[in-house]
Amino acid sequence: MAERSQQEVWRLAPWLMIALLLFNFILMAFDAKTGSQERVIRAWTQVAADFFQSPVTTISSSINNYFQSISSLRIAQSENDILKQRIQELEVEVKQKEDLTFESGRLKSLLELKEQSPYKILAAQIIGRDPSAWFDTSIINRGSLDGVKLNMPIATNGALVGRVIALSPLTAQFALITKDKFGLGAVIGAIGGSGALGVVSGTGKKEILEMGYVSGSVEVKVGETVFTTGQDGIYPSGLKLGEIIEVRSGSATVSHQISIKPSANIYAMQEVAVLLYEPPPRPEYDKSLPNVIKDERGGKKSSR
Amino acid sequence: MEQVKITVALIIAILLQWTLRNVAEPFVYVDFPLIIVVYAALQRNSIKALFYGTVAGIAVDALSGGLLGANGFSKTLIAYVVSEIVRRVYLDNLLLRIPVIAGACVLNGLVYYGMHRLLGQEPTAQVVNTIAYTLIGTTIAGTIIYLLLDNFFVENIKVRKREVFAPRRQTRRRNPIRLGNRR
Repeated sequence: MAERSQQEVWRLAPWLMIALLLFNFILMAFDAKTGSQERVIRAWTQVAADFFQSPVTTISSSINNYFQSISSLRIAQSENDILKQRIQELEVEVKQKEDLTFESGRLKSLLELKEQSPYKILAAQIIGRDPSAWFDTSIINRGSLDGVKLNMPIATNGALVGRVIALSPLTAQFALITKDKFGLGAVIGAIGGSGALGVVSGTGKKEILEMGYVSGSVEVKVGETVFTTGQDGIYPSGLKLGEIIEVRSGSATVSHQISIKPSANIYAMQEVAVLLYEPPPRPEYDKSLPNVIKDERGGKKSSR
Repeated sequence: MEQVKITVALIIAILLQWTLRNVAEPFVYVDFPLIIVVYAALQRNSIKALFYGTVAGIAVDALSGGLLGANGFSKTLIAYVVSEIVRRVYLDNLLLRIPVIAGACVLNGLVYYGMHRLLGQEPTAQVVNTIAYTLIGTTIAGTIIYLLLDNFFVENIKVRKREVFAPRRQTRRRNPIRLGNRR
């Protein structure tokens, strides 16, 4: 191939720049429009990155663990004494629990109740973090081959941390609940025991969530725990979200504005759990609604 | 050969960008692909620099929570701006490159943030803090990386210096006394 002259390069460069900028802009606009759907470019880049990210993460975490174990040897002796005492206390508690479990099993069999787990849990390791300083997504070493699907919830220590936003056969990318576009149904206190229902959304700020639409006539206190309701059709009910740290009280007509600190330490996670939860299918839109969009075949597709 | 070396450097930069945040959080403030894209633009081949900008940007975007193409857009623009500057100004001195990488870093942050706002997305991080930290991290890392890369491209620099600063022509000095005599 003949080398281009410098003048030719200078003449060509602005046109090439415009073409490439246009290409990038179309990609961006398409990405912004389609939201959290599966993307081929993201999926295959994740697959390619996995071959590099996984070994680097394994090596770096093992080196980190080695140095941590050396430093923790210093406090091991005093901890050992405390733990010995704690074991003795726990042995007594375990004995009491065993009795309770036995009693519970006996009562369940009497009532013919079956033990049901609402969803399976898949342990995953975080192998990559967002390469850009502007976002806080993470990549885990579980993908569609392990049964992970888009929008599946991610939890750690029983508390919700985010949901899957991109998927490849070997890996999955999840975004944190602190992202400002996120919203989920939540309740203050136990479900059924409280009328303080509302919507928790990310604020874009680190380690702060906001809860809105909580009726101003309901009493809300700082320190209360917030759980998911499962009404959003993405997350299961009963997952811990966080504790209330601030309440800007509303009135009978104005709702409370509540700030929540997430229960999970979302910026120091190494391992997470993917909840293989699939929400129950939504009921079909009421065909008689006047705002249902009709598709080309004359049928009714969806409502606005 | 020079292009192969820059391509290898770009691949390494993308891999580092993908992984280093998981090793240590502060590394997120070093934009390795941007450093290489600016270096490629400084080599006076704007077409290749533009392609490097797009490829590196999309590679970073594909693993990021941001819009796919936002980094590609900003890095392509920067590659063009730097290659236009380098057409007019001699920038082969390391000291002169420091303000170039710093400026590129600020422009990259502003364009990236602007494109997200334009398309209705709000990045999680704070704008001023992120741009400031990235400016510091990328400028320091960029200066060190340019020193290393210049050692790899030492032959190329010598040739370019010869092209830019052509050897002086030896002109005979006229004797001012003779000139005076002529008059």
